[in-house]
Amino acid sequence: MALLELKNVSKIYGELKALDNVSLHVDKGEWVAIMGPSGSGKSTMMNIIGCMDKPTKGEVLLDGVDISRESSKHLTDIRRDKIGLIFQQFHMVNYLTAVENVMVSQYYHSMPDEEEALEALGRVGLRERARHLPSQLSGGEQQRVCVARALINHPELILADEPTGNLDEANENIVLDLFRQLHREGTTLIVVTHDPEVAEAAQRTIVLEHGRVAREVINENFVE
Amino acid sequence: MTKRRMFIRMITASLLRRRSRMLIALLSIGIGATILAGMVTIYYDVPRQMRAQMRSYGANMLLMPGDGETLDSDKLARVLTQFPEDALVGAAPYRYVRLDMTSRQQSFTTAGTDFSQVLKTSPYFSVEGSYPQKGREVLVGKEIAETIGVKVGSDMELTWQPTAKVSGGDAASDRVPGATLTGSAEGWSGGAVSVTAVLDDEAKIKELTIDASTQTAEFGGRTQTEPEFAAQFIGKGLPVELGKDVDALTGATVTSTAVVEALNGARQATAASKPNTVRYTVTGILTTGGEEEGYVFMSTEDMEALTGEDKLDVAELSVSAEEAQLNAYAEAVTQSGEGVKTRLVKRVTKSETAVLGKLQALVFLVTVVVLLLTMICVSTTMMAVVSERRREIGLRKALGASDGSIRVEFLGEGVFLGILGGVLGAILGFVFAQVVSVNVFGSSITFQPLLLPVTVLVSVIIAAVSCLMPIKRAVAIDPAIVLKGE
Repeated sequence: MALLELKNVSKIYGELKALDNVSLHVDKGEWVAIMGPSGSGKSTMMNIIGCMDKPTKGEVLLDGVDISRESSKHLTDIRRDKIGLIFQQFHMVNYLTAVENVMVSQYYHSMPDEEEALEALGRVGLRERARHLPSQLSGGEQQRVCVARALINHPELILADEPTGNLDEANENIVLDLFRQLHREGTTLIVVTHDPEVAEAAQRTIVLEHGRVAREVINENFVE
Repeated sequence: MTKRRMFIRMITASLLRRRSRMLIALLSIGIGATILAGMVTIYYDVPRQMRAQMRSYGANMLLMPGDGETLDSDKLARVLTQFPEDALVGAAPYRYVRLDMTSRQQSFTTAGTDFSQVLKTSPYFSVEGSYPQKGREVLVGKEIAETIGVKVGSDMELTWQPTAKVSGGDAASDRVPGATLTGSAEGWSGGAVSVTAVLDDEAKIKELTIDASTQTAEFGGRTQTEPEFAAQFIGKGLPVELGKDVDALTGATVTSTAVVEALNGARQATAASKPNTVRYTVTGILTTGGEEEGYVFMSTEDMEALTGEDKLDVAELSVSAEEAQLNAYAEAVTQSGEGVKTRLVKRVTKSETAVLGKLQALVFLVTVVVLLLTMICVSTTMMAVVSERRREIGLRKALGASDGSIRVEFLGEGVFLGILGGVLGAILGFVFAQVVSVNVFGSSITFQPLLLPVTVLVSVIIAAVSCLMPIKRAVAIDPAIVLKGE
C-alpha cells in the first residue's frame, strides 16, 4: 500500500524546471534513498514531500491525502502529524537541553512528556546526556538527538536530508543502525543523500538528474 | 508536563541561556520603565514639592477686615480653621502703627506680628542676629537701622501716641494719676449726663464735676445741685461700683447710674488712649530688599501691651494650593460671615501655576520620548533576535509549529521581558525619583503602591508592541531554510 505517491509532479521557477514531471511511489514501511548531484531537484522534492513547498503541477498523495493543494496552515498540521524530519546540520534549539529539544517536538504535536522523551533518548543511547546543551554534545550525538526527536511522535514517514553529511564514519554507522531499527519497526524512511554508502543501506535508490528520475536501483544486498 | 509548563520552560530558557541579547532588551525595558516610574512619581509629586518651594516666594493670600469690620486674633483663628491643615503653610497677622522714637525725633511704621508664622509666610526674610524670642524685643529694618544707627543688642524707646489724647498725667502708668477724665452717659429719658473728674497722684478721684442739666430738676438734676452726691466719690479709685462705693440718690437712680457709667467709661477710654513708651532691645536687623526694611517688627503681644488693643490690620497667608483651589478657599472665607475679605497675591499665584504647568508638560514630554526610544530599542533588539534565530524559528515551524505558536512564543518572551523590566524599573524608578527629589527639592517622597502594577503594565505593553514587527518577520520565515544548502 502506497504511503507516498507523486504523480507527474513538476516544480517550475520561472525558466527553471526544478522538478520535471516526476512520478514516484513509496510503500508503507519501505526504505528509499534519493540520490543525485546538486541541482538535480533533490531539495525541491524533499521540500514537497516534507510539506514545506507545493508543486506547480501534479499530485502528491501522502497517506491518501493530496497535499499539493492544501493551504500552508494545513500543510503544517500534516507535517506535524505524519512526518519526522532529520537534517544535515542537525538543527537543535541551542538554548534547550537534549531532552528539551525532543520535548519541543512533542509540544507542537501534542503534549510534552519528559519520561517518553528520555526513553527516546535512551533508544539512541543518549539518556545519560539528556541534560546537556547542544554545545556540549558532539556532532554525532546531536544527530542522534535529532533522530530521537524525529521518532518521538511515531510518524508515518521519516524524511532525512543528508543525515550523515556532517558525521564521521563511526557516527554515520550509528545513525544507519538506528535507521535499520526504525525500518524493522515498520517506519517508512526516505533518505536524501549523495553518499552511495548511505544509499546502499536502503532497499531502493532513486537517482534524480536535471529534475527527472534518471534511474531506479533496487538494492540486492539489502539486509533486513 | 503540561503544554503551559513547557511553554514557560522554553521562554525562560531562551531568556536565561541566551543572556547577552536578552540582557540588552531587558536593560532597555528596565531603563525605560525606570524613567517612566521615576517621571510619573516626579510628575505627581512635583506639584506638591513645587508648591512648597513656591511658598518661599511669600504669601499668596491676604485677609483683611471687611468694610466697617475689625479683625482681631480670635476672629483670625476662627477664619483659619476653614483651611485644611496641610494646605495652610503659614498665616502671619499684622498690626501696623506709627511709633515715635522721641530721642531721635523720628517715627517709624511698626508691625506687630507672630514671628513663628513670619518664618513660614516670608521665608525670604533675611535676619542679621535673630528674630525676637521674648517680650520687649524688636526686629528693625535695615533702612531704619542705618538711619538711626542701631545694632543688634541696642536698645530703643518707642512711644505710642493715641489719636485721642488725655491731658496731663503720667502716660506710662496704668491708672493715669493726675489726669483729668471726661465722659458722658445716657440718663433719664435719653438726656446726656457728663462728668469731669480730676485724679490725684494715686489715681483717686480728687475733684468731680457733674453736669445733669438735661435731667429733671427735682429728680436727676439733684445729682448736680446737691454736692453731697458728688462728695461720695472723692477719694474713690476707678472703676466705681454703685451701691458699694457710692449710693444712688433717692428718686434719681437712673441719673446716678449714668454718672457712674460716665466715670467708668471715661476711665476705660483713657486707659486705651494714653500715650505709652516702652524700651525695646533690638535682636535683629532685617534685610528683604523690599519696603519691610523701613519697618520695625515686634510681637503681637508687645504690640497689644503697648497700644492696649487687640486689633489686626491684615493677615498674610501662605496656602499650598493651585489657583482654582485658592480661589475656592478665598470664596469660602469671604462667605463665612466673619466680616473678612480676601485678596490673592496674583503675581505669585499666576507664576506658580504657569511654572508648574510647564514643568509637568516637560516631564510628560520626556517620558513619552523615553518610552518611544525604549520601544525602538526593544524593537531593534527583538528584530536582531529574530534574525539571529531564523534557523531556530524555521526548525520550530518544520517541527510543526503553527504561525500562532511562533507569535505566542515571541510575545511570551516580550511579555516576560516586560514584567521583569517593569519590576526592575519600578524599583529603580522610585530610587531615581527619590534621588531627584532629595537633590532638587530637598525632601523625600512616599512610594505609591500603585506605581508597581502600572509600571509593569506599561512595560509589558511597550514590550509587546515592540515585538509586533519582529514577530511579523518571524512568522514569515520559511521552514524550508532548515534544509541542506541554506
